[in-house]
Amino acid sequence: MSRNVVHSALFMSGSFFGIAGFFVMLNAPVLAAFQVLIYVGAVTVVILFGIMFTQRPQVRRFRTILQRQHWPGLFVAIGVGAFLAYVLSIQDWTGTEPYNGPQETGTLGEILLGVGGAPPIFGLLFEVISVLLLVAMVAAIVISRRKTGEGVDRQELE
Amino acid sequence: MDTLNATIPLEGYLVVGAIMFAIGAWGALVRRNAVVVFMCIELMLNAINLSLVAFADYLPEAGGAGVGYAVLGIAVAAAEVAVGLAVVLAVYRTRKTVNVDEVNLMKG
Repeated sequence: MSRNVVHSALFMSGSFFGIAGFFVMLNAPVLAAFQVLIYVGAVTVVILFGIMFTQRPQVRRFRTILQRQHWPGLFVAIGVGAFLAYVLSIQDWTGTEPYNGPQETGTLGEILLGVGGAPPIFGLLFEVISVLLLVAMVAAIVISRRKTGEGVDRQELE
Repeated sequence: MDTLNATIPLEGYLVVGAIMFAIGAWGALVRRNAVVVFMCIELMLNAINLSLVAFADYLPEAGGAGVGYAVLGIAVAAAEVAVGLAVVLAVYRTRKTVNVDEVNLMKG
């Protein structure tokens, strides 16, 4: 946990890069490329923009960056981790071997479109995710747009 | 690469995913800055993606469908961060704060 928000964003970018390395080890290099392009490239830059737009000089004390509910939050997070560890430990993982995934880009494309033996629901999911991205883009523009007459123009400040 | 892969069982990836998910949940629950909360949610989504891809590569009968789900998850995460940051900017413009416990406009 870093006190500086920009440092947190850079560490998050580093962990995304590590996940991309895991994807390469899991024989999904296309997904690793997606990860580097979208997360390390785009999402980190968007979050850094958000930090720059909203950061004020604040007191660098440990109390000020945590909510009042930090002890219940810690207990809930430990509970989630313990539950996941329990599920991991009771399951028998024999018979799992690597190299079962789609290792070629063409196979991944067929899975995404739901053709060639893949579950056909992926075709519908592909279209739904396209519409979702379009709606999210329009919504982001509409929400963050400054209405006329609201706020202070730059000329009035000078 | 072959020797590197052969030594890591499936549980290794799942443990890393579980630890990342728990850290993300902890941060999303206790931090006050809304942008940091978004970063922690991204961390949780990444942990889920890692587990999905690990299952897709290790389970013989999965048919690699987990990689397709991971691509869909990346798209959902990108949409979520775009809309979320827009909401945070709108809230900051009206309330001059991004602390999640000070934004109580809808409290009666």
